[in-house]
Amino acid sequence: MSSPGGAGTERRLAWLRGGELPQTHNARTIAALASNPGCARRALLDAAATRKQDIAEHAGYPVPFGMSPFALSRGVVFERQLKDDPGGLLLALLRETLNLDIAEVGFTDLNDVGGSPDLAVRHARTKAVLTGRPDQRGTLFDHPLLRFRVGGRHAYLEPDLIAFRHDDTFHVVEIKSFAVIDGQADPAKVAAAAIQSAVYVLAMRDLVGDTATVHHESVLICPRDFANTPLATTLDVRKQLGVLERQLSRIAGIDSVLAHVPADVSFSLDADEKGVPQRDPGDLLRDIKRVDANYSPECLASCELCYLCRDEASGSTSVLGKSVREELGGIESVPRALKLARGDDPLPVPEDLREAAAILRRAASLRRDALAAARAETW
Amino acid sequence: MGEPLDSAEALEERISALRAAVRRAVLDGDADRARALRRDLSHAEQDWDNALDAQAARAQPGSLEPAPERDDDQSPAERQPRGEPRGGTLLPLREQVHEALSLLQVPAAPRLIATVHEAFYATSFPTARLTSLRRDEERSFKTAPFARPYYICAALAADFLSPSRGLLAISTWPMERRIIGSLSPRVDFLVAAINVAQAIEQIPQPVPAARALLARFAANVRGSSSANSAGRPSGRIEPRSVIRAAQAELAVHQDEDHAARAEAARRAREQLDEPEQLFGAASFRRAATADKLAGER
Repeated sequence: MSSPGGAGTERRLAWLRGGELPQTHNARTIAALASNPGCARRALLDAAATRKQDIAEHAGYPVPFGMSPFALSRGVVFERQLKDDPGGLLLALLRETLNLDIAEVGFTDLNDVGGSPDLAVRHARTKAVLTGRPDQRGTLFDHPLLRFRVGGRHAYLEPDLIAFRHDDTFHVVEIKSFAVIDGQADPAKVAAAAIQSAVYVLAMRDLVGDTATVHHESVLICPRDFANTPLATTLDVRKQLGVLERQLSRIAGIDSVLAHVPADVSFSLDADEKGVPQRDPGDLLRDIKRVDANYSPECLASCELCYLCRDEASGSTSVLGKSVREELGGIESVPRALKLARGDDPLPVPEDLREAAAILRRAASLRRDALAAARAETW
Repeated sequence: MGEPLDSAEALEERISALRAAVRRAVLDGDADRARALRRDLSHAEQDWDNALDAQAARAQPGSLEPAPERDDDQSPAERQPRGEPRGGTLLPLREQVHEALSLLQVPAAPRLIATVHEAFYATSFPTARLTSLRRDEERSFKTAPFARPYYICAALAADFLSPSRGLLAISTWPMERRIIGSLSPRVDFLVAAINVAQAIEQIPQPVPAARALLARFAANVRGSSSANSAGRPSGRIEPRSVIRAAQAELAVHQDEDHAARAEAARRAREQLDEPEQLFGAASFRRAATADKLAGER
């Protein structure tokens, strides 16, 4: 992961930020990078490491992001239940999932170094412990501190746990508090966990310096059903790794995105010394809209600017989701699609839209018939 | 009680003077004088509590919450008039913790301590109250070293001899037992499993809480009950089979763990002063804080 471009790129990104300090990434924000690869707006805001939440709020589209305190405390309780007794429940779970050897029980706490919570010290210690001689390494590592280079800057990441198996392979272990009910979990949450694990796997590989020693299969520990009994499952994150690597290389190649953005565009908030934004919201909004977005409903789960982009995209078929957009072929706007369906479009239907128009008309006539039948029944 | 706060302060002076006197008497081997002084001390502590409670009640009418900072570990609900026989629930918190740890014989986290106490002594306490216990004990030790027969102290991480997060131990244990090396969490878990199973074996009719505790241990020791998997035991659990399975696994780790603990214990005895041997080396944390302060200036 090289740093983006040269000094010129760095200057333009600093200009986009409006002279503020770049925001640090964490596993969640890095994972979010991978969710919408086609969005230039997102790519630019992330590469410049802007305060997206503040920008969205100042532009008039605040997002209620952040976790509920109840969910947070449930997560803490669940993790503590496992970690309180690292030689008991946690080990038994991982033995079952990873087939750990009976002798593999070493537990190393990397939460602090002799009481020091300093990040650089903790990272150095993590590196020393994880790259030590295999026979001295131990098996479980609690909260190692990894470092990951995104957009030319280091971000510190903290996986819940790393387990080490006797064939010299590390596994990233994620503890999540969403429930697996009857063998099923919320697919969106599992996907988010998978991509976060992938971030950790990449960071681990970066630290260990060898791809083969960090396994692409992570372990996900969740509560089973409606109790707090933990359940461990393995997650193959190879696909997520691919997506992430592609996205990160795009951040590195941000020059090509910058080339399409007018030079005077800035996301600066012009904050005064108290941190209160002074910039005219309308002006900021105009600048944001000069960079192309690629809105889809999935953005609502991961991007701070989602409400802004959704509002901007209203009336276009992309608001209805990727599948609808694909079905409709080249039809860009909802009113146009409706006109084609009714067949009252004054313009002749162009060649490339004819197939989509036929499908729409057929769907409209089916709907008319169905509604007429329903009406006849009720009368 | 005309001026409760003043009287509380006066009592504090009297309490520390009495503690020093008790220590001298104990060290001199004067048992009778020590006993008399201890009685005076407990009266003074009782008066101090009353004074503070009165002060708190005056500060917040309608609130019967105990004052936040107290040297004693007892809450008003647990205190009883002196001279009456003590029941299980009426023991001070530190003694309840001591009971549970003495049964386990290994450093343990607050939650396990509370569960063990509930299973074998039929009373439980909120684990949140244990968080300040170690700090109170450390303060008490620093004011009057070795004035108490035992202290609830820290387990030490083998690498930097800093206090191991969340684990409580008893000061009278050998240093080796209070060191937490890489294998120690599992070794201690197995030792605790054996001790709990042995204690349950001696009870003719174990209460459900005790059975549940044994089941928890059994579920996480391979081969201790038939057809179990992590966290979910099945069928009836025999203490004998838990002990057998735990001992079998213990044999695998014991030697390596013992060597690591002995080495770290030797270092601890050489490098740390008395309070640090009990409550962990703080030098790293101090150095880091000093650096941070220097950076801010």
